[in-house]
Amino acid sequence: MAFTDRRRHPWAVAVSVLVYFFLLFPMVVIVLSSFDPQEYMTFPPTGFSLRWYGHIWQVELFVQGLKTSLSIGAYATLLALLVGVPAAYALARADFPGKAAISAFLLSPLVVPELVLGMGLLQMLVLVGAFPVYPALLLGHAIVVLPYAIRLTLASLTNLGPGIEEAARSLGANGFTAFVRVILPNIRTGLLAAALLSFITSFNNIPISLFLTGPDVTTLPIQMMIYSEYYFDPSIAALSVLMLIFTLIMVFALERSIGLTYFTGGGSQK
Amino acid sequence: MYRRRTLWLLVPALLLLGFFFLWPLAGMFLSTVYQAKTGLAPAAGYGRFFADPFNRLVFWRTLKLGLLVTGLAVVVGYPVAFLLSRLEGKLKSVLMALVVFPLLTNAVVRTFSWMVVLGKHGFVNEALQWLHLTDGPVKLLYTPTAVVLGLVHLFLPLLVLSLTSALENLNPSVLEAAQSLGAGPWRSFVRVLFPLTLPGLAVGAALVFTGSTTAYITPQMLGGSRVMMLSTLLYQKAMVSFDWSTATVIAAISTALTFLVIGGLNYLGRRLGAPEA
Repeated sequence: MAFTDRRRHPWAVAVSVLVYFFLLFPMVVIVLSSFDPQEYMTFPPTGFSLRWYGHIWQVELFVQGLKTSLSIGAYATLLALLVGVPAAYALARADFPGKAAISAFLLSPLVVPELVLGMGLLQMLVLVGAFPVYPALLLGHAIVVLPYAIRLTLASLTNLGPGIEEAARSLGANGFTAFVRVILPNIRTGLLAAALLSFITSFNNIPISLFLTGPDVTTLPIQMMIYSEYYFDPSIAALSVLMLIFTLIMVFALERSIGLTYFTGGGSQK
Repeated sequence: MYRRRTLWLLVPALLLLGFFFLWPLAGMFLSTVYQAKTGLAPAAGYGRFFADPFNRLVFWRTLKLGLLVTGLAVVVGYPVAFLLSRLEGKLKSVLMALVVFPLLTNAVVRTFSWMVVLGKHGFVNEALQWLHLTDGPVKLLYTPTAVVLGLVHLFLPLLVLSLTSALENLNPSVLEAAQSLGAGPWRSFVRVLFPLTLPGLAVGAALVFTGSTTAYITPQMLGGSRVMMLSTLLYQKAMVSFDWSTATVIAAISTALTFLVIGGLNYLGRRLGAPEA
């Protein structure tokens, strides 16, 4: 076949090599720089030291930021799954007028600029509604990750099909029992992937967290951004390397659970 | 079999979005049109915003850099997607993972790595001096170039992924047909392959454009106050000068731009794209 033959495409290969270099090279530089013992990063690094990997745990802002990011990520994921899984079930199994519009509305947080939502939440909840910052931040993150939770669950439910549930129902299980005992175990891989993607999306979020910060409630990426405006020592590089390792584990886990084809299946809208 | 009761399952999600997504956004946008408290004419905020030459500069810069980033991403991303769509097996999964990996890496990490590469004593400057191409460090950080590089780095994976799926979903026999009818590789690309991937390209380009015109961290860390964009201006107005009415106007402009581009490009992609083969 002409389209899948083994003919070489020297142009495409040459450009692709450059593109991969462009994508990965800065990450290599940051890994090398993280071992620089000096206070001010230069290239090439002046030596090899693990000094900054120890230092980052001494910086209260980073430790507190990490704690905030982890807890917000976990709670936002939980909330998104709690409201997203039932919604996905209704979208997968029921037919009703306006279904397309409701589904579009549930996925619309992907389209609205997050910076705008962050500002809106700050204005409405914190400034006018006198909400504490932490729950406002949590709600903002839950809204941003909700579309991921819904879409992955919906895909799993569509793959599963209604047959197995109908069998359980005809054997006498009520709707709730069938959902908990039959459906949930069968879509657990999709749910795990939904949780992973929701968590990393929350963990990486900047625009929402940028507006919703307060005393002791500032996420790690925001702390890193603020720190890098004042210092240029390798501690941000060391933190970056730890985050790269975390991302690598996430990519591997996603590959194992749903496969990376999810990202080309029209699923990677953000 | 599925009773109306199933629809109740939508209620929690709809309530969450209704209260904490739709309401704050609607409230914000209404305030830019209807200003009961200030007694100003409706939508006067927009006129005031565009009356300021600096705001106009930032607005046009945002559009210009967004277009430039999108164009660059399309040009360099297309060959990668083309190659990925033709590969199979282990090599393909590794190369796919290497595109997804940057996508899932925190934007602060990715932007900071460009600060290290482009900094005064960073990789590029040291390399230039080592090669005796320049005598002293060249100013690379806090320039539009740095912002464009950072934004292309940030959003290129999105374009590659949506284009790869468009190319994968293509029926291989259309290219075969073109070539057996005598079209050379270049001609079959321009006349057959490219038009067929326009819908996928439109989706990817819309993601890149809207992403790069609303990104905050990259213009902030690589451009600073010298290369302000709408997103950094919005933050400055809201959180530094507490000029909430201007910030709200910028928010409305950004959102309108995003919706316009997503809607427009998807429409164009469907219209221009030949019917699915």
